[in-house]
Parts: sequence; structure tokens; C-alpha cells
Amino acid sequence: MPPQSDRALLRRDNVLFSLCVILSAAMLLRPELGERVTGAIRATVLRPFLQIQEWSEAGRTSRASFDRLRGERDSAAYAAQFLPSLRAENQRLRALLGLGARVRVPYVAAEVLHQSTPTDGRTLLLSAGARAGVQPFDPVVGAEGLVGVVRVVEAERAIAWTWTHPEFRASAYTVPGGVFGVVGPALQITGSELLLQLRGVAIRDSVPNGTLVVTSGLGGVYPQGIPIGTVIGPGQEETGWERVYVLRPAASPEEASQVLILRAPAERVPEGAFGPDSLP
Amino acid sequence: MIAIRADRSRLWTVLGLLVLLHFAVRPRLGYPAIAPDFLLLALMLYAIRSRPGAAAVAGFLVGLVGDAVTPARVGAGALAHTLVGYLAAWGRAVFFPDNLFVNGLVIALGVWVRNAVQLLASGPAPGGLRLGLLVYAPLQALTTALMAALVLVVFQRWLDIRLEA
Repeated sequence: MPPQSDRALLRRDNVLFSLCVILSAAMLLRPELGERVTGAIRATVLRPFLQIQEWSEAGRTSRASFDRLRGERDSAAYAAQFLPSLRAENQRLRALLGLGARVRVPYVAAEVLHQSTPTDGRTLLLSAGARAGVQPFDPVVGAEGLVGVVRVVEAERAIAWTWTHPEFRASAYTVPGGVFGVVGPALQITGSELLLQLRGVAIRDSVPNGTLVVTSGLGGVYPQGIPIGTVIGPGQEETGWERVYVLRPAASPEEASQVLILRAPAERVPEGAFGPDSLP
Repeated sequence: MIAIRADRSRLWTVLGLLVLLHFAVRPRLGYPAIAPDFLLLALMLYAIRSRPGAAAVAGFLVGLVGDAVTPARVGAGALAHTLVGYLAAWGRAVFFPDNLFVNGLVIALGVWVRNAVQLLASGPAPGGLRLGLLVYAPLQALTTALMAALVLVVFQRWLDIRLEA
């Protein structure tokens, strides 16, 4: 039997352990409590460390992605040669239809500050915040397609939910076909691949493999036309009133190092964009 | 057998260095899911030199830091690190590493347990548990254990550790 002092130490150890477990459980059960605490930690204790990580990420990406960026720049420069003629053609057609100029979406570039925890990728810490004009529900896109949406904005940083977050949803349609549905993560216990699901497709519609799925713009969060993924097959239907399709995602949040935060997500129709109604 | 008579100030210096490495060097070490976790390594080094209560509190704080930067499910990281810290402090009596390999194995086990608890507490996600537990967690455990071996060898005198063959 341990002596009295040892028993007191043992009791203290158990009390401290129990207290920590209870606090952790309280944060799991009441996320708003945990978010307040973690927000305060990010703004105080972690601030200088995150600044160091930001410099480190910037240094790494500037070295590692130089060749890739040069290739992408060359491709973009080649593609841009045809832009003036396309723009002129677009303006001509819009004028014929009586439409105003196309709405432009401004953006903010940000570094992704990846972490070593196993849930990194479900949320991303971004190096741009309110000072750069970022707002909650701004869409986050990568070079390949949709990455996620900003949920928490602080002065210098923002936190985005990616499409791997269990609560992520986006209204979408197929190209070609125009079949509408809602995209969310394909949640699974025993899977081994990060996939998406297109749900809510009407029974009468069928979508062939290889079809591109893009954001529809419905709901006012994501602009229309951002690639989300490609259909790779039918999913498991549970309710019997809809078709479900499994998608291979266009962008991988776990590999994203630089992203664009779109600052005006909703395609708001400016004054005068449409001509007066021609109907009597 | 390892004799642990760590000078606290030197221990804190090494722990501080690991925290700096976590934010300054880890981002340059490749794919984040398998890069060594210096914060967890610091926690394990502290836990095996401390009482279980103090190790649990340290684990809780390290977990909170993790939750602050990846708030997918706040509280999951705190819970996972609390358990790992507490078990590591208790486990030293059982594992009591008497060579570098066992030392690394204990730290690798800590990484895997942390990942398992955090993934389970965070709920289902695309990719499921198989990818996280059978692919990423073992690889991260391996890289962290290798880094632990390097740290123990380099700071053998500072940590006052005697590694016998």
C-alpha cells in the first residue's frame, strides 16, 4: 500500500487528468465554448508562432513551386493570347442580348498553414484575414477547383471549412447535362479515398461517368462554374427517391499550399446589367 | 537502463526548441500528414519525466494548441493529447525504454494513439478511418520516432540521458 504522500500525489494526478478530460468533453459537446477559447489562443499565444510558420510556408512554396508556377504561367500566357478576341466576342454577344458587363469576382491570395494533426485538411488555416477584406462565407478555390468556404475570420488569418468537413455542402450541376444536386463529402468509416457525393439528383436523371460537376451559384455562397469534381460512378441510395453519384474531387485540400479567397462570392446583378424588359 | 536526471532548465530549452522547429521547420518537411510532429514529441519527452497529472495538463494544453490551428472538432485534440500525456507518464514504469529503439517505439505508439483518438472523437469523414489509421498515422509515427531518436542523440547530455547498448 503506498504511503500517505504517494496517495495524495496519486489523487492529485487523477483529479488533474479527470479535469482535463471533462474540459475536453465540454468543448466537444459545446463547440461555441471551444471556439472562443481556441480563438483567444490563436490571437495571443500562437500569434508569433503562426507568423513564423507563415514565413516558413512562404519560403517553402516559393522554392518548391517555382518550376510548377513557371509552367502554369507559360500556359496561362499562351491561353491569354486568345482572351482579347474572346472578350470582344463576349461583349458583342452580350450587347446583342441586351446584357450589361459580366460581373467580376475580386480575390485575395493566401498561403495555407498546414498542421500536423490528423484532422488537418478538414479545416485550413489561411494567411489572409479581415485586414485583407476576407469575410465569412467567402469561397476558397485552388488552381484545380473548389477547396472550401471561409467560416472564421480574424484580423490576419482566416479558417476555412474544406469540402472534407462533414458539414460542407454546395449546390451544383453537371456539365454537360445540367443535372442539379447538392455536393457533400462521402462520409465513411472504412473507406480509403477522399471522395464527394452528388445527392438529390432526380430519379429521372442519370449522369454518365466522367461528367464534370461545377457549382451552380444557387444559395449565394459560391459563384457559378467552379469545378468541384468528376463523376466516377453511382453511389449507394438509401432513401429511394433520389440518385446519388460519387465524385472524384477536383482539388485536394491536404495538398493545397496556395489558394484564392473570392471576395464577392454571390454573382450579384448590378444596376443596369439587364436591359428593360422587352415584353409588353 | 536509462538514468533520467534531467536538468529542468535544459529540458525546457529543448522543449522550446522543439516548439520552434514545429512552426519553422516542419512546414518544409514535405506532406503535412506524415511530417514529424514536434509538439507531440515535446509532450512525450516532458511526460516521461513528469507525474501523470502534470503530463495530462501538458497534453491538454498541447491539444488545445492543435485544436486552435485545426478546429475541425474543437476538444478532440485536447482529449487525445491529454490521454497520450497521461498514459506516457504512467507507461514509463512499464515501457521504461532502455535503448534508443524502445524509446522511439514508445513515441511512435504515442503518435498513433493520438491520431486514433482524435480521428474517432472527430467523427466520420471522407476517406474513413482506414486511410488515417493505417496509412498516415504509421508514417507520421515513423517520422516522429526518427526525429525523436535524432533529438535524443543530439541532446543526450542536455537531457541527462544515458543510453546503454
